[in-house]
Amino acid sequence: MSDERDTIDDLELTLGRLLGIGVTASSISLGAGLVAAVTLGTGAIATFLLSAGVLVLLATPITRVVVSSIGYARRRDWLFVVLTLVVLTELIASIAAAVRGH
Amino acid sequence: MPAVTYALALIIFGSGIAAGGVGALLGIGGGVFFVPLLHVALGFPLRTAAAISLTTVIATSSSVSAGRSGEQLINLRLGMVLEVATVAGSLLGGLTAHLFSETTLQRLFAIVTLLAAASVMGRVNRRNVLLHPAAHPGALGGRFHEAESGGVVTYQVKRLPLGLLTSFVAGNVSSLLGIGGGVIKVPALNAWCGIPMRAAAATSAFMIGVTATGGAIIYYGRGDLPALAAAPAVLGVQLGSWAGIRLAHRVPAKWLKILLVVVLLAVAALMFLRSA
Repeated sequence: MSDERDTIDDLELTLGRLLGIGVTASSISLGAGLVAAVTLGTGAIATFLLSAGVLVLLATPITRVVVSSIGYARRRDWLFVVLTLVVLTELIASIAAAVRGH
Repeated sequence: MPAVTYALALIIFGSGIAAGGVGALLGIGGGVFFVPLLHVALGFPLRTAAAISLTTVIATSSSVSAGRSGEQLINLRLGMVLEVATVAGSLLGGLTAHLFSETTLQRLFAIVTLLAAASVMGRVNRRNVLLHPAAHPGALGGRFHEAESGGVVTYQVKRLPLGLLTSFVAGNVSSLLGIGGGVIKVPALNAWCGIPMRAAAATSAFMIGVTATGGAIIYYGRGDLPALAAAPAVLGVQLGSWAGIRLAHRVPAKWLKILLVVVLLAVAALMFLRSA
């Protein structure tokens, strides 16, 4: 019996790439924000870059869950579509709690 | 909150390097050390320390998973199943905070890490590998090529309910303690669920980001996450995980387990001290 574990998993590569792009984009924005904070002071530019960096980082795992769900839907692996959607719902509930707490 | 000076930023950057390195080697985000460093040593309020720590965990998880993808070490299917439990635990985190005092929680956590250390120590020389590499790994098991033994390693998942329970507990204490919970997930996966050390570490590294996200978002919403203090940690993580991934291949599984035991004992001691 053969399945995706016998070959390099496309989904693993896609998710890896996605996480890499997310954390790199976040780091670039945070790094630029630090440079701006040091050179220009903690004004609007530094605040924007730093906030954008944090938001991109927080969005990265959530995007990963969304893309996992799409990946499993393409494979018609419905059990895993349901599991990833449950995780997504739980994360959205955290966002809702955060918005209420604001 | 202390002002973010150059010295403070450097300390946070250095801790980020360590967190990224340990994350790549052991699948642990390092939050369990980050919080006392930021709170006790550097004087950040506990909520801020937890928020920065959770952000660091997300960075470590993303960075390590990106670097390790394509090695078949991350068990995606197992990870997705356990994530349901870990995120549910994180959502219900307030419940635990309500039931136990922080001191009790720290003592319980210390006891759990001591048990985990003993379990891993007892298995230092044993391997979670099926005799026949061509055997079917079952619904959630996996297979990967391992440089250390030069062959294909196949494993099956045992005691899934215990893995689910550990993931739930890890998520449950995540926002309160500022951790991704890798420190209990890795020993549980390795000692109880039959996952080889490298796969346990990679799968835990993959999951801790999602575990930490719920708590991090809530802290961010409450204004407890100072981006200026979190930034050096995230940058440090990038460097540390880059180095850790390159080192991980050369470290035998046995030494990874011994390192894990040392980390677990340090965590237990730290938690007992903080609860005293």
